[in-house]
Formats: sequence, C-alpha cells, structure tokens
Amino acid sequence: MAKHYAMVIQLKKCLGCQACTVACKFENKVPDGQYRTKSPAIGPSGTYPHVKVFFEKQACQMCQDAPCVKVCPTTASHYNKDGLVLIDSHKCVGCKYCMTACPYDARFINKNTGTADKCTFCYDTRITKGEKPGCVSTCVGGALLFGDANDPQSEVARYLATHRTEVRKARFGTRPSVHYDYEGVK
Amino acid sequence: MDITWGAGAANPVIWGWLIAVYLFLAGIAGGAFLTASLTDLFKKNGPAKVIRSGAFLAPVAIIVGLGLLVFDLGRPLSFWKLIFNVNFGSVMSIGVFIISIFTVLSLVYAYLVWASVKVGGKVQVRVGRAASEAAVAEAGGTAGGREIVAILGALFALGTATYTGFLLSAVSTNVFWSTHLPGISGVPFLPFLFLVSALSTGLAATLIGAGKCEDLTLYKKIDIVLMVIEILLVAVLYASVRSVFFSGNLAVLFWLGVVVIGLLLPLLFSLYGVSRHKNLVVPTCGMVVIGGLALRCFVVYAGQLFK
Ligand code: SF4
Ligand code: SF4
Ligand code: SF4
Repeated sequence: MAKHYAMVIQLKKCLGCQACTVACKFENKVPDGQYRTKSPAIGPSGTYPHVKVFFEKQACQMCQDAPCVKVCPTTASHYNKDGLVLIDSHKCVGCKYCMTACPYDARFINKNTGTADKCTFCYDTRITKGEKPGCVSTCVGGALLFGDANDPQSEVARYLATHRTEVRKARFGTRPSVHYDYEGVK
Repeated sequence: MDITWGAGAANPVIWGWLIAVYLFLAGIAGGAFLTASLTDLFKKNGPAKVIRSGAFLAPVAIIVGLGLLVFDLGRPLSFWKLIFNVNFGSVMSIGVFIISIFTVLSLVYAYLVWASVKVGGKVQVRVGRAASEAAVAEAGGTAGGREIVAILGALFALGTATYTGFLLSAVSTNVFWSTHLPGISGVPFLPFLFLVSALSTGLAATLIGAGKCEDLTLYKKIDIVLMVIEILLVAVLYASVRSVFFSGNLAVLFWLGVVVIGLLLPLLFSLYGVSRHKNLVVPTCGMVVIGGLALRCFVVYAGQLFK
C-alpha cells in the first residue's frame, strides 16, 4: 500500500522552545531570516483568570490537494512517489505563483538559490534513511509525531484513530497531512 | 522573532508592483493591438495614424511587460524553463504560450505596418486595397499577409488581455482574486474586468500615440461604452466582496485612482468632448491609462493584503 506520511502536533505539549525551528535551520541549511518552520505564539488571549497562550508549529501542511502543485507552471512543484509535495529546484524559475496559492504561507524564495523552498518532511535527508524529520526528533516536549498514516500500526495512525484532531484552514479543501490536536490549549 | 517567540510576520505581498505593471502593460498591448488590427480590418479609410500607433505600441508594451515579469523571477535567467516544462493545469503555463505567440505576431504585424508605410509613404489603410500596384508589389504582397496576421493577432490579443485576469482568478485560495460573477459560480470575475480595462486602456494609449487625427468620433464612442461597462463591473465587484478590500491605504487607490481618475472624470470629459467635438483626447486618454494602472495595482495588492 502506498505510503502517506503524516505529522501530528499535540499543542498542549509544545513549550514554544523553538528547538524545531533551529533544528530545521541546520538540518536544511535554511538561509538567514528565512524559515521552513516556526512555532509562533498564538495569544495571549482572554483576561485573567482565563488568559491563554499556546504555540502553533507552522510549516508546509503537505496537502493532498495542493494548490501550489496545481498552479506551478513548470511542474517543479509535484507529488513525489510517496505522495509528498516537493519542489524540483532544477525546474523552478522562482515565479512565486505557488506562494500566492499556498494558504498556509509555507513557502519562500530561498535567498541562495532563487527557487521556491519549504518543508520537505526532511524527505531526502532523513525519511529515506529511515529516520524521523529533524524537527520531530529534536522536539523537547515530545509534541511531534511522525509516520505512515496508512500503516495502522504506526504511532500517527494510532493517534489519529483515537484522538480528535483538526487540519488548519479546512475550508480550502487542501486535505493537509499535518494534523493538530488542540486539546488543552483552545 | 519577537519577544513572544512569534516569528516576524512575512511580507504578505508576494507579487508586488512589478507584476501589477506587467498585467497592466499586457492589457495595454492587447488593447492597442485590437484597436489597430480592427481598424485595419474593418474601417474603410480608417485613420492610418491609429493603425500605426497601435501596431507599434503593442510589441513595445508586451516586451517591456515581459521584461518586468522576468526581472521579478527568483531566477530570471531560467525563464526559458517555462517553455520546456509544461503544466496544462496551470493557467500561467498556458499563458506563457498565449503571450509568446502574441508577442511574435505583434512584432510581425508592426513590421508589416512599418513596411507598408515605407513603401506607400503612408499606411495602406484598408488591407487588400491596392492603392498602387507597384507599392503593393514592392511590399512583397504583404497586404494579404497582414490581414492574416491582424486576424490571428487579434485573437491572441484577446487571449493575452483575458489571461491577465485568469492568472489571478485561478488562485482559488485567494478569496478576492477568485471572486465569481455574482450568481454564477464557476465563472470568474476578473477576466471580464481586466479584458474591458485592457480594451479601454489600450485604445486610450493608442489614441495618445496617434496624436492629432481628423475624426476620432467612433473611437470616442467606443471608449464611452467601455467606460460604462467598466463602471458597472467595478460596481458589481464592490457590491459582491467584503468591504475590507476597499479599506486602508487601498481606499485612496481605489476611489481616487480607479473610480475618479480612471472612470468618472474621463467619462465626463468624453461625453463633453463627443458632443462638442472638443479636443480633449490626450487628457481623457491619459486618465484612462492611469486608472488602468491603478486598477491592476489595487487588485494585485488587495488580494494579498486582506485574506
Ligand atoms: S501547505 Fe502550501 S506549500 Fe505545502 S502543500 Fe499545501 S499549498 Fe503546498
Ligand atoms: S516558484 Fe517555482 S515551484 Fe513555485 S510555481 Fe513558480 S516554478 Fe513552480
Ligand atoms: S520536517 Fe524537516 S523540513 Fe520540515 S519543518 Fe521539520 S525539520 Fe524542517
């Protein structure tokens, strides 16, 4: 059965330490001032005694109906054999059409290459070697789960089967592969 | 990053003024080509200056526009990859071919018009009419060829002008750009708006380029019709999307640039000019052109600043 890599983010376990942000920066040699992922604070909202703040890890949502792939004029943005949205930087001309189409602001033009860049789930550098993505393995709070959602035995599949999770901006019908569990923070 | 560990917000404007000006120039090129070629094809003894002006303006506008587009790429020198990697599902990919063909046709047409000027001393206005056998022979039988180029070019000019709207409206995740015709989901709105604006700005720019001409009444009348249609379309847009898109700094651009300078004043001037045959062509047309630029900037920015 085809693989469907997915990530689960348990927001109540995230401390906002940005270890993922930093791990991604060195794992993927992301240029200064640019990010494939970041975990901004949402809030603080409300008034005492009901003040809330949480951190929402944001990156490419690995959409299964990805608007970026649809609009890309060069097919540089594509689904790879494992269903992940990746960018072939040899084909990319840097037209930024994909960036206008991505509802999650996940993409940027890499300052060094001039081509579109975003989270790859660390496909080439780690997944294909059987490792977990950089951000997941470094996560201090254990907030990030990663695996093949089509394998019922995997951690993500079991988590998704037993918890109520959401995808961001579901109204756009992009069918993301990154699932958020807001239990305890919203 | 700020103190609450929120990463500094990225600039929401992904396509800036370079792209807005490119869309505007593509519209001018399409409109100018249509003005020239339709005059050439259908108007007996139409003003040669208009044909010449439109025919020369079209390739200049589209080539400058393409230059801006390429300059805006993350990797400008790789632009040729757009031609060799095709995605039929991508409006931009299809547009690359429409615009490329249009650019070539507009260049050929400009050459043919230029050649006939050189030979005949003036444009052989009606295609196929042999004002002087010798001149036509000398021009290498270009009149018939010019007719074909004019027809094909007119089709691709329509395509180019409409494409600039489809480019934005195809971004289905952008609420403003993908606005539909009211009541008819599935039919995007921007292609119509941009087409009408392209026709009117292209015609206006052509008339400015043509300078003093004998009889421009027909063009003035067409321009009035186009402006009225555009006012209706802008009103429909205003009524069918959330008012936030017309707020902030963009409010000035919209109300002053698009509505007052681009539509209302030129409409008043034109009505006055047509009835009195006053020569208000240059100020009127100048305002139409500025309004077209304001419209492209407004649409490009409004779609990205407010989501
Ligand atoms: S999150 Fe954005 S970049 Fe990632 S697949 Fe979805 S649309 Fe594409
Ligand atoms: S910037 Fe690159 S990946 Fe994005 S749409 Fe353009 S060619 Fe495709
Ligand atoms: S999966 Fe890899 S590329 Fe994506 S955010 Fe994590 S470390 Fe960065």
